[in-house]
Amino acid sequence: MHKVLSTLLTVLVAVGASALIWVAANMVFNQVRHQWRRFTAMAFAAVGFLVGVLLSGNRITKNSQGGFLSWVWLPLLLAVIFAAIGVVLESTSDTRRRQGVGVSSGVLLGVGVGLLVRKQYHPAIDIVALLGWTVGGAALVGAVNLVRKRSLVTGALVGAAVGSILGGWGSAAIGAGSAGGAMVATLIPAVLAGTRLGFTNNPNLQARARIEQRSRGVIFLTPAMLFIFITLIVPTIRTIYLSFLDKSSEAFVAFDNYVNTFSDRVSWDASHWTNMFTSRLFIIGAIVLAIAVVVGVVSKRRTGRAVEIGNPTVGPLLVGFFLVAFAVFTSFRGTIVNNLWWVVTVVFAATAMGLAIAVLADNAKNEKVAKSLIFMPLAISLVGASVIWRFMYVPRDTSTEQTGTLNALWVGLGRLSTGSGLPTIFVGVLVGCILLGLIVYMSRALARSQPTRTIVPGIGFVLLAWFFVRYTGLIGDGVGGFDITASGQVVPRAISFVQESPFNNFWLMVILIWIQTGFAMVILSAAIKAVPGELLEAARVDGGTPSQIFWRITLPQIGTTIGVVVTTLIVLVMKVFDIVKVVTNGNFGTQVLANDMFAQAFQFGNTGRGAALAVILFVSVLPVMYYNIRRMQKGN
Amino acid sequence: MRSPLVKFAAVCTVLALTAAACGSDKKSSTAGSTGTTVKATAGSTGGSTTATGGAAKDFGGAKVLITGPERDDPSAGAINAVLQTWGKTRGLDITYAGDADWEANINTQVQGGNPPDIGIFPQPGKLAEFARAKSIKPLADNVTASIKKFWSPDYSNYANVDGVQYGVPVKTDLKSLVWYQPDKFKAKGYKVPTTFDEFTALVKKMAADGGPKPLCVGIESGTATGWPFTDWTEEMVLRQDGGDVYNQWVEHKISFNDPKIVKAMDTVLGLWSKDNVFASGGNIAATNFGDNAQALFDGKCYMHRQASFFSGFFPKGTKFADGSAGAVDVFYFPDINGDKPVLTAGTYAAGFNDKAATMAVLEYMSTADYAQKRQAEQTKLLNGGLSGFLSAAIGQDPSVYQPLEQGFLKILSESKLSRFDGSDQMPAAVGAGTFWTLGTSAVNGDLTAQKAADQIEASWPK
Repeated sequence: MHKVLSTLLTVLVAVGASALIWVAANMVFNQVRHQWRRFTAMAFAAVGFLVGVLLSGNRITKNSQGGFLSWVWLPLLLAVIFAAIGVVLESTSDTRRRQGVGVSSGVLLGVGVGLLVRKQYHPAIDIVALLGWTVGGAALVGAVNLVRKRSLVTGALVGAAVGSILGGWGSAAIGAGSAGGAMVATLIPAVLAGTRLGFTNNPNLQARARIEQRSRGVIFLTPAMLFIFITLIVPTIRTIYLSFLDKSSEAFVAFDNYVNTFSDRVSWDASHWTNMFTSRLFIIGAIVLAIAVVVGVVSKRRTGRAVEIGNPTVGPLLVGFFLVAFAVFTSFRGTIVNNLWWVVTVVFAATAMGLAIAVLADNAKNEKVAKSLIFMPLAISLVGASVIWRFMYVPRDTSTEQTGTLNALWVGLGRLSTGSGLPTIFVGVLVGCILLGLIVYMSRALARSQPTRTIVPGIGFVLLAWFFVRYTGLIGDGVGGFDITASGQVVPRAISFVQESPFNNFWLMVILIWIQTGFAMVILSAAIKAVPGELLEAARVDGGTPSQIFWRITLPQIGTTIGVVVTTLIVLVMKVFDIVKVVTNGNFGTQVLANDMFAQAFQFGNTGRGAALAVILFVSVLPVMYYNIRRMQKGN
Repeated sequence: MRSPLVKFAAVCTVLALTAAACGSDKKSSTAGSTGTTVKATAGSTGGSTTATGGAAKDFGGAKVLITGPERDDPSAGAINAVLQTWGKTRGLDITYAGDADWEANINTQVQGGNPPDIGIFPQPGKLAEFARAKSIKPLADNVTASIKKFWSPDYSNYANVDGVQYGVPVKTDLKSLVWYQPDKFKAKGYKVPTTFDEFTALVKKMAADGGPKPLCVGIESGTATGWPFTDWTEEMVLRQDGGDVYNQWVEHKISFNDPKIVKAMDTVLGLWSKDNVFASGGNIAATNFGDNAQALFDGKCYMHRQASFFSGFFPKGTKFADGSAGAVDVFYFPDINGDKPVLTAGTYAAGFNDKAATMAVLEYMSTADYAQKRQAEQTKLLNGGLSGFLSAAIGQDPSVYQPLEQGFLKILSESKLSRFDGSDQMPAAVGAGTFWTLGTSAVNGDLTAQKAADQIEASWPK
């Protein structure tokens, strides 16, 4: 309880103090325009106070090791001295006198602080390092100033001051030196800074107005920038740094973590890539692609374009690519391949289905109800959805009833297909009737010489016909989850959706598609509703069919939105973690980068490898983010 | 005219003030925390200086906080009750707090300078890691003496790091058990096997007889899927090649794809053939390890090899080892070379400081008295049910245990060779990583034992 209270108090004090400082900073800069002297005094006092805090707060100076009052005296004293320097400096515009004030106050402060440094902090000055750093700093900042067309001398002085601090304190053995060393290490930067101070002028009213204006921006931005810096930039840099260290973050190993990640069979296993050409998916995909080419050639002859949006080539082209991609992803295995597979499948399926639903539901009856239902999964947490789907995928031993929904259906279908009871006949007749209906529909369309209208029913017919011949046993023994034993007995067979590699990956992706379709649908639906009615009206007047209007008017109009949905989904899917963690934890060849990163860093204690995976993930998401941000800026 | 100095000063001031705000808060909080640490140490050294007090010494209400992964009410309740009752006699205020995510949280607590007085480690590997990082303290002489008295080196040595004893064994899980229903055996005329050959012959006979399958096997366990396979492999290495090879394997002195290890894996996979195994999830990798209890109880299979804690997975009202119809009992998973090896797991208590009070509590936790009192208390909290607790401490009164648990104790006392769960001692990347995942792939038929072992060997951290 005591700890909770003290933490709470600390937080309150921190927040309060930050707010106060922010207000105070604003008030200080209120003085710039008309009270230049007051402002100088305040600003100098603040800098002096900070220097004092750095010195005595870190227990570097004498008499600072006790309680609060023991270290606060130096900041106060320095604040007063700095304020005095500021006032004196402000009172004259004569360059020589200002230079005198700057240098002498530098000497004064350097000697004073040098005397105050505690023995434990006396640096053993390394002259070479001190000179090196000083000259280096002077050269660097001086060069920067030259490039920016500012004064070389002032830049060199600032650089030399900072360099001499780094050289005098940073590269020396602290505590091993003498009082003289401390004196040197404080005097040099103080004098350099003082000299630089002497080069300044009192600004005129115009310059002051500019200072005031610019200061506001800085004051208002600082809290946000600080927050982003601490929570985003520092962790990023640290992760990149850790990825070059070994597993306990001790020794530097250069690119070993990256090399290991990419040479590991777990990340990238191409040993079975030849399986690709014998896989059924590849063959079907290749056939579909061939059809697309044929259609493309025909359409080129007729309309002058082989491929355009809405052209019959697009369908087979996409399906073909999709199938071939599946064949490729099931032959090349590994974490990285899985991630790519996830991106291709989920992004494509979720966007396509979201678009289809958005279009079909547009202005339909009960549109809101339908869209709400599809949107609902988005409200379920990824972990919750994963648990639900794991139950749906569960297989049971076939001597018992199946409890998983999908296996119950599959095994039930197998029973139906291999059985001979009334339900079996009923389903068979039903499917047969639907097939007949399709034939009638298509022949009527052909009779009216509208061959394009037979495409969708045609695909449906082929699929359903395949199901029918399998179901009735004209080819094979039936369809569904069953096996026929050597003795000719029919036994049920369940599918281990989650365990059977590599397609278990696809069953995991289904979960994310289920969730993200709602997201794609909502965004695309809004975009479709925003398509100007006059455009659609004009198209209708010109005699465009609904499908033509969709492909040639609506789709190009919502192109940007589709881009947003796709890029958002890519970034989201790249980082997929929860589903894999809950359902398989990367077992059975379903490992993905994010889960591997978690396992390496937090379970196997290999921080370096975990950080490397995090960086790989970060870098691979970057181009998409960049593209997304660029387009957003263009949009504005 | 533009004045770079003033601009510079302005930016500096803002940054300085903000930095001063952050800086000063940090200062004050560190000052506060160092203050309390100083106070705490001062208090403890003032409390008592003689650690080897021996006879009832009063600690004047010193507080001792113990944390560990056991979080269920009966376990945590029993630990608290026993330690608090004992603590009262010594003027100690002892609290045990269970934490389901102990293994992750203890790291944070140690890094934050805020560890408990005593931690109960579920894995010796983690304990060794902490010992080498000097986060936990070596045990005082009185504690090591007590351990020597009550524990066989087979158990205590796992908490001995580079020759220094750091941990006190406080709980034992016995893994080399086969659960079965005696009356089902009797009905078919099967005899409990006493050698591994008899065991395999029995499996073959059961499979040939048709009806229920010989074995129930399932290795699904959420994010820890695969661990029952590692247990089986360890049992086979221990049986086929003995304790020395086992140690070499665990310490990576022989490679993971050594022919001996591959042979052990192959033996397991051979036993787990389709004809021998009932898996309620359709296949072994999809079957939750806990579901095997119901399957065994329902008579879907005859035998199931699983550790002593498994009693908790049987349906409510299951009778254990009382000779009634349908009662469940265990027999020792038979050995090959006659040295009766047992595979065990267990927890080890270690001190994050060496205060006298901490050491006194650790000393008590190493005794048989603590073990049997905890057992009695836990049984009482479960209204006479099986506690799930077991201790290999020497000199316990067996009557506090139920008949089934007495059987466990008998197996423990008859064994001449005991080895701690190997996967728990291997580096986490293997023991909680590839050994599980690639083992699962081998069980699933995606890899041969040889290939799985090769890949596990490749994944062993260098």
